Amino acid sequence: MAVFGVLSIAACSGQIAANTPASNGSNFVSGNGDSSYFKAGGRLAAPDVSGRTLSGARLSLSSYRGKVVVINFWGSWCAPCRSEAPTLAVLSEQYQSKGVQFVGVDIRDSPASAQAFVQNFDISYPSLNDPADEIALAFRHTVPPAAIPSTLVIDRNGQIAGRVIGQASYSSLGNILAKVTAGGMSR
Amino acid sequence: MTDVRSPQAGHGIASPGAAEEPADVAGETTADVADETAGVAGEIPADVVDETAGVAGEIPADVVDETAGVAGEIPADVPEETEIPPPRPQPGTFGVVAWARWGWRQLTSMRIALVLLFLLALGSVPGSLLPQQGIDPAAVQQYFTAHPALAPFLNALGLFNVFAAPWFAAIYLLLFISLAGCVLPRSFRLARTARARPPQAPRYLSRLPNSVRYETAMTTEEASAAAAAFLTRRRFRLSQGEGWLSAEKGYRREAGNLLFHVALMGVLISIGVGGLFGYKADRLLIEGNSFADTVTDLDAYHPGHLVSANDLAPFSLTLDKFSASYVASGPDRNQPASFDAHVSYTAQPGGVARTYDIQVNHPLNVDSTKVYLIGHGYAPVFRVTDGHGKVVYDQATPFLPAEQATYLSEGVVKAPDAKPQQLGFAGVFLPTAVDVNGQLESAFPAPYAPAVSMIPYVGNLGLNSGVPQSVYQLNTTGMHRLATPAQVLTPGQSMKLPGGAGTLTFAGLKQWASLQVTYDPGQVPALISGIVALAGLVLSLLVRRRRIFVRAYRGDSGRTVVDVGGLARSDVGGGFEAEFGELAAGLRSVHDHDSSPRSEETE
Repeated sequence: MAVFGVLSIAACSGQIAANTPASNGSNFVSGNGDSSYFKAGGRLAAPDVSGRTLSGARLSLSSYRGKVVVINFWGSWCAPCRSEAPTLAVLSEQYQSKGVQFVGVDIRDSPASAQAFVQNFDISYPSLNDPADEIALAFRHTVPPAAIPSTLVIDRNGQIAGRVIGQASYSSLGNILAKVTAGGMSR
Repeated sequence: MTDVRSPQAGHGIASPGAAEEPADVAGETTADVADETAGVAGEIPADVVDETAGVAGEIPADVVDETAGVAGEIPADVPEETEIPPPRPQPGTFGVVAWARWGWRQLTSMRIALVLLFLLALGSVPGSLLPQQGIDPAAVQQYFTAHPALAPFLNALGLFNVFAAPWFAAIYLLLFISLAGCVLPRSFRLARTARARPPQAPRYLSRLPNSVRYETAMTTEEASAAAAAFLTRRRFRLSQGEGWLSAEKGYRREAGNLLFHVALMGVLISIGVGGLFGYKADRLLIEGNSFADTVTDLDAYHPGHLVSANDLAPFSLTLDKFSASYVASGPDRNQPASFDAHVSYTAQPGGVARTYDIQVNHPLNVDSTKVYLIGHGYAPVFRVTDGHGKVVYDQATPFLPAEQATYLSEGVVKAPDAKPQQLGFAGVFLPTAVDVNGQLESAFPAPYAPAVSMIPYVGNLGLNSGVPQSVYQLNTTGMHRLATPAQVLTPGQSMKLPGGAGTLTFAGLKQWASLQVTYDPGQVPALISGIVALAGLVLSLLVRRRRIFVRAYRGDSGRTVVDVGGLARSDVGGGFEAEFGELAAGLRSVHDHDSSPRSEETE
């Protein structure tokens, strides 16, 4: 993924007008769907993040301590997010009884579009509104969400147990959830 | 007056056969060094760096002959250093060491460096012909769909991510080694030359390009001592022997040359460090919006090989206001006069919020990470109400300038959650809209009379399939255009879509700034190295290395004869003759005052 310094945009000319933004037309860093599972003992603690949900309520991650939490970074404008949304909706219902709580983090989005997205895809779990991407920033020392969408799975002890970069599929996220919930009530 | 011989005056003596070989060696060494020099960079004037070649050319053949390995640039110790090519070994006896030596010599030769440079350029070609994963992943996916047979093959060759491909890395690593292998040994050689003492004086000074002969009443010892004192005062470096004196000046040339080479290595290393540990990213930011320097919040992200996502400086930045001014009249009309991106930022989460005015070439510096302003444009605010009367879109939408002079911009609005069908709009924004014979045009880049004209589409935007697509383009393959007469909207105006499909409102106007976030730890070292290299180059250009030889001996008449010879080793700017004349006159006057300086002092 690493690119060895190749940008045609020169920041040193007197004129800036000619530069269109974002040589990346899709306007975001997309992932490749890679999923990783971290074994117990090698997990990093997730930061406690909090904020306002799309409906305006206050929500903090620590209020879900003791549950497995799935954090999904998404935006209504992002095609892979739209594609994975039905999968997430299904998984969130399936694993609800196993003590799994889904939380969305809506980034680079407008409230109107985000609300329409949530209703359109019948997303029942809450989403934090994070227009400035501060929540993703809070994860930078752990397992940073490296693309949109990104999905993190946090175990019952508040440690990051898995990550899917890019579009999550039923199997990629489902496998991680199966492993994390199968661990039973640890400790 | 004794004659001062000019360099052209003559050197008619044919080389004796026995002296042929050293001259040959000199020739080869010269070529070798020249090779390496040229391999370093095309821009170095050969005569500057390569004093060897210059001198060899300047020294008349007979001087080289007679003083073989002494007067010439090429002292006897050089051949062992410059690795005169050993006789080509027989294939059977070509051992590992020989192979290694041969390989190293090839790798560090100019020819291979040029070949590698060419390969590097050639390797970049697919990077501009094929879509690149790091730059436009959407286009890469489209390429895969369009060429299902060819794409996996190209992908295996790394052609969709050329600059990260192993073969590309191999080329630039080899190039780096090639340059280092050429510059480093040369630096050592230069360091040695810079500290060297002048060689023994040639026997026949009259054959040097510049020479004088005169007699003095001093004894030979006195004459030598007086000459040594005189030249030392003139800050020459001396070697002395039985009846001869050899003085040299201008070692700063070598020091400059050495500085240049060392600094060149500095430049290479700095660039390498920057490439490994630095990153570049782009972000388009609309007024009032914020972003954090984290991968998910960047539009394009180009990390160095050793940069991981959590190495990014954790700052957040809000674009409070963007303003641009343009020249309103005269030949430069419509040209931008100034840009200011007023931002507030925190260096890390929870830090103190500060403000800054980013201008072109006036970046914001957050803990060595720089944020440059590289572009700007307009972001009309649109509100879309769908067929069910719900607001499904309400935000500023960046439009990309299509005409630089007038900032006529193009953009799209996508409302993927509109019901009953997805809505899309494609159109233009005009900052100063004017009607020219029924044609809508923009007259000026500033937003004096902003207007939009949008074409509505309904159907499938193609977003739900999961394939990333450009936010600046509408994929209309699954959509059909709604038949409405062209409408021009000014801020506050709406257009109703036919069939109750919805409403589009042009609610307001914002501007966006395109920011480039760069972190290049090699930048400052590269700059310093560059300056030092330049200083070294100037030093080696301006300083002339020259030698003065003095031989004092008893002549036929019984008086002491003094021979003074001079040799400029690199008289690029000319003027050595004059200096020699002045020095010779000085020496002569010292020797003429034979009655010894001592007696004068005692007076």
